[in-house]
Amino acid sequence: MKRSDSSIQKKLMRVMLLTSGAVLFLTCTSYFVYEIVTFRQVTEAQLVIVGKMIATNSTAALAFDDSGEGEEILHALQADPQIVAAGLYDGRGKLFSRYPDSLSYLNFPAAPRGDGYAFSRSHLEGFQPVVQGDKRLGTLYLKMELSAVYQRLQLYGLIAFGVIGFSFLLAYTLSRELQKVISEPILSLAQTARVVSQRFDYSVRAKKIGNDELGLLTDAFNTMLGQIEAQNQEIRTFNQSLEQKVRERTHELELANQELKRKNEFVRTIIHSSVQIIAVLDQQMRYTAINKSFEQLYRVDRQQVVGRSLTEVFPQTKDTQVERDIREALRGNPVHHAVARSAVIPGYFETHFIPLKEKEDVYGVLLVSHDITRIIEVNDQLKKANQELIRSNQDLGQFAYVASHDLQEPLRKIQVFAELLRHKRHDETETQRYLEKVHAASGRMTTLIQDVLSYSRLARTEESLVETNLNAILDQVKSDFDLLIQQKGATIICSNLPVVKGIPAQLGQLFANLISNALKFNRQNPLIRITVRELPESSRALYESLSQAQAYWEIQVIDNGIGFESQYSQQIFTIFQRLNNQQTYSGTGIGLALCRKIVENHQGVIVASSEPGKGATFTVVLPQCIAGIAAPSSE
Amino acid sequence: MWVACLLLLAAVGLHAQPAPSLEDRVKAVFLFNFTQFVAWPEQAFPAAEAPLVIGVLGENPFGTYLREVVTGETMGSHPIVVEHYREGKDLKPCHILFVSAGNTHRLPEILQECQEKGILTVGDAPAFLAMGGMIRLYRQAGKIRLQINPERTRAAGLTLSAKLLRLADLSVP
Repeated sequence: MKRSDSSIQKKLMRVMLLTSGAVLFLTCTSYFVYEIVTFRQVTEAQLVIVGKMIATNSTAALAFDDSGEGEEILHALQADPQIVAAGLYDGRGKLFSRYPDSLSYLNFPAAPRGDGYAFSRSHLEGFQPVVQGDKRLGTLYLKMELSAVYQRLQLYGLIAFGVIGFSFLLAYTLSRELQKVISEPILSLAQTARVVSQRFDYSVRAKKIGNDELGLLTDAFNTMLGQIEAQNQEIRTFNQSLEQKVRERTHELELANQELKRKNEFVRTIIHSSVQIIAVLDQQMRYTAINKSFEQLYRVDRQQVVGRSLTEVFPQTKDTQVERDIREALRGNPVHHAVARSAVIPGYFETHFIPLKEKEDVYGVLLVSHDITRIIEVNDQLKKANQELIRSNQDLGQFAYVASHDLQEPLRKIQVFAELLRHKRHDETETQRYLEKVHAASGRMTTLIQDVLSYSRLARTEESLVETNLNAILDQVKSDFDLLIQQKGATIICSNLPVVKGIPAQLGQLFANLISNALKFNRQNPLIRITVRELPESSRALYESLSQAQAYWEIQVIDNGIGFESQYSQQIFTIFQRLNNQQTYSGTGIGLALCRKIVENHQGVIVASSEPGKGATFTVVLPQCIAGIAAPSSE
Repeated sequence: MWVACLLLLAAVGLHAQPAPSLEDRVKAVFLFNFTQFVAWPEQAFPAAEAPLVIGVLGENPFGTYLREVVTGETMGSHPIVVEHYREGKDLKPCHILFVSAGNTHRLPEILQECQEKGILTVGDAPAFLAMGGMIRLYRQAGKIRLQINPERTRAAGLTLSAKLLRLADLSVP
């Protein structure tokens, strides 16, 4: 058993025995050493005193050379049996007297050595001076046997040993009894502690012995046991209630979880079934969620998009309005665009950029976008239809005006001349003149009605477009105007014209009107040039109604006629708009309106430019068909 | 140097004495030793440094030996000197006076005078004590022995050490 493991009883006894043993040993040893030292000192001092007495007494014997007297003085040493030899040396160092007589002078030192005594193994011997006054007369030698001293020391040692042994025995017996005072309460405490730790029985209590610190310890231990017991009970109760609480909480949590799942699923369903495009981006503008509409519209897969940034998924959005809007929303400001063109796909969208906040910190942006392309398109169509309606309305208004004015004018003439004819029916020549006037007015009325009819028919026409060779159309027009061309002495210079998709009768009417205009508004021999070229892309922007994706022909009819003020270049295409009076230049004011109608029917544009007296240029822009330019007709 | 030698020769020639015998040399040492065992009264010395004088009267058996023995010796604070007196009338104040055996002329008076002056008188004549001396030195079994008249020394005011008295023959003739 290790020492630290041995019982406290043994430890206590060991402590007591070791302490008392050490004390006893030290005491006896120091006493013994002290004895030896003092014994030597005392012995030497006594010897010195004896020597001094002998030396003092023997001065006269030495001074007056009386060795017999010296020996007599030395004989006094008989009183001390321990002094075994003594001798007097004279001033010259010769042995003068000796004691005892029986001892041979050979046993004495031949001559005195230095003064003083020294211990040998068994003797104390030495010299001391013989002095009278301040004059040294000789030296005294003394030798003392120490066996008696040592015998005495042995006796002391024996006694000390006996005392140690007895004391140790006494200490053992006493400690055996005394240690119980301390060890018994501790052992009892230890026994109780063992019972507690082995059986976990906190109801046992240690027996208290006395009111000292150990008694206090026992009390404290018992109090502690009591507290542990109480706390154990408390913990058990607490545990039970805790378990109950945990069960309740778990149940609540499960319910909440189910509810949450249900809600989540609900929200997910709403988001994914929404026709709106929904996306969530984080602070680094990375997609964290997108819905089905998003996937379908942009033709992407959720796995390709989520976790990547906007500009990674759609590089074309870099530095566009979308990116700026998202940044703005990340700063906490909602952004809304009622109409915005998409940077990724063709189309229009209404978009909301809504900052997602958590305690004032923006952690992302909710992007909700609604495809309004179809609405915009329909809107455009509506706008167009509306414009059409407005113009048609205007046409109707003009038509009413014609009905009330242009048609009434020849009718009024017919009424006036018919009245005059009734009053002057006897006057043959007058009658003839009035009848002619009536005839002319009615003829003009017929022309007007025919023109109006043809215009209105044009508006309603639903004929399909066919490939039409414009060269053939122009040849037909030239032959129709053959007589007038000859009368006016006109020249028509015409380049090779293309084949276009169109309605041949309408295209014939178009060229007939343009050429008839050029022949009509001219005071000299008319020169008419017809040119054609592909409309340059740069010029295409001049005409807003043209499609950007379509190629066009530009056909110009240039004359050297009277021209018109450039401010009228739009007005002249309005129905019944005449720039010149009817007396000088005949016409109904419908021709150019008819031309515009025809060109618009062919998705083209017609414009005019002129200065008074410098001729006019009519430019007709028509869409190209795939066939390209046709070969000129044989004529 | 030559002068010193001449002076020495003259002195030797003047005394013309043989070298002292062993016995005389022992006696010279005894004379000196008496200074260690005898106490003189205070008034015997006029000053603290005054010398202790050993006088030799008449014939001087010691030659220069006694002077050699006492050279550098002292008794307490008193240096020891030796003086020599040819006759009784030459006597000067001293502390120890040695009278050799041959000098008997007017001796009792001189000794009496010395006793009165507190001078320790030492002699080796057989009748020295009878003539009024204080210490007689005599030869016995090859050794020099002492005979002392303590009454006279006491009368002279001298104190002799008991140790000295123990050695001596105190029987008064």
